[in-house]
Amino acid sequence: MNELSIASNLTPMGSSMGNTPTEALLFWIVAILCVVGSLFVITRHNLVTAAVGLIGVFFATALIYLMLFAPFLAVIQILVYSGAVMVLFVFVVMICNCDTTKTLSLRNYFERGAVSIALMYLLMQIVHILWSLRDNPVSMSAEELAQRNFGSTKSIGSVLFYDYLIPFEAVSLVLLIAVVGSLALVDRTKTSDKS
Amino acid sequence: MINMFVHITPSHFLILSMVLFSIGALGMLFSRNAFVMMMSIEIMLNAANISVITFARMHGDMGGHILAIIAIAIAAAEASVGIAMILTVFRTHGSVDLDVLNKLKH
Repeated sequence: MNELSIASNLTPMGSSMGNTPTEALLFWIVAILCVVGSLFVITRHNLVTAAVGLIGVFFATALIYLMLFAPFLAVIQILVYSGAVMVLFVFVVMICNCDTTKTLSLRNYFERGAVSIALMYLLMQIVHILWSLRDNPVSMSAEELAQRNFGSTKSIGSVLFYDYLIPFEAVSLVLLIAVVGSLALVDRTKTSDKS
Repeated sequence: MINMFVHITPSHFLILSMVLFSIGALGMLFSRNAFVMMMSIEIMLNAANISVITFARMHGDMGGHILAIIAIAIAAAEASVGIAMILTVFRTHGSVDLDVLNKLKH
């Protein structure tokens, strides 16, 4: 119950998650952080700035996971994405020494038209969904989920190792292949430069 | 109208996921820089994870969490291989601008 402190006050109230206004305010702040951060990432010219913005987006996404009863996934998100993947990104950006490149280059009228059509379609879909999909049922209340240890490390471990053992082992194999493959990619160019 | 902003439903999370995915797709489509494309891919994977976890919370099923964990692991593997490829392109062409990869044209 303690680790679900953000989400534990959610009670069922119709289709809503039954949150207090403070939690709604927290959701809007985090959602705006996510959207503004990812817009920041794709419009920066300096690549290191973009990477730091992406770290902010990952932290905001971890807060979203906490609101959705997934504390273990929030921690994994911060560890793997902000800790491992973004460190790799920043290292390789600094190795390449290629910041101050032009991002988001819209060259001709065709691309500008395509972007504006895509944005208008996106806005249309958002308005459509906002007006038609106002109630998605939540099948279980927050107390019920907290009683069943939903999203806790213990229940994730039991589900992962009892029901999803074969996908877990397949992912470990994929990770091994990725390590060998990336090493082979980088190493082959080094030896071919020497020869 | 105020109700829509105060009572957070799963639709809010799904719409947030859709907006993030669209931003990632726009960045993927309209950037020349390989690093910005990789970062857009990461944003899109995050958006997909948000929607999967929202569905898991809606149905009270832990399978969505397992799918998200596996997606995070695959994303880490994809990032390492993609960055190795970008590094190879940078060593052979001296730039991470993907427009320099036009050897088939000449």
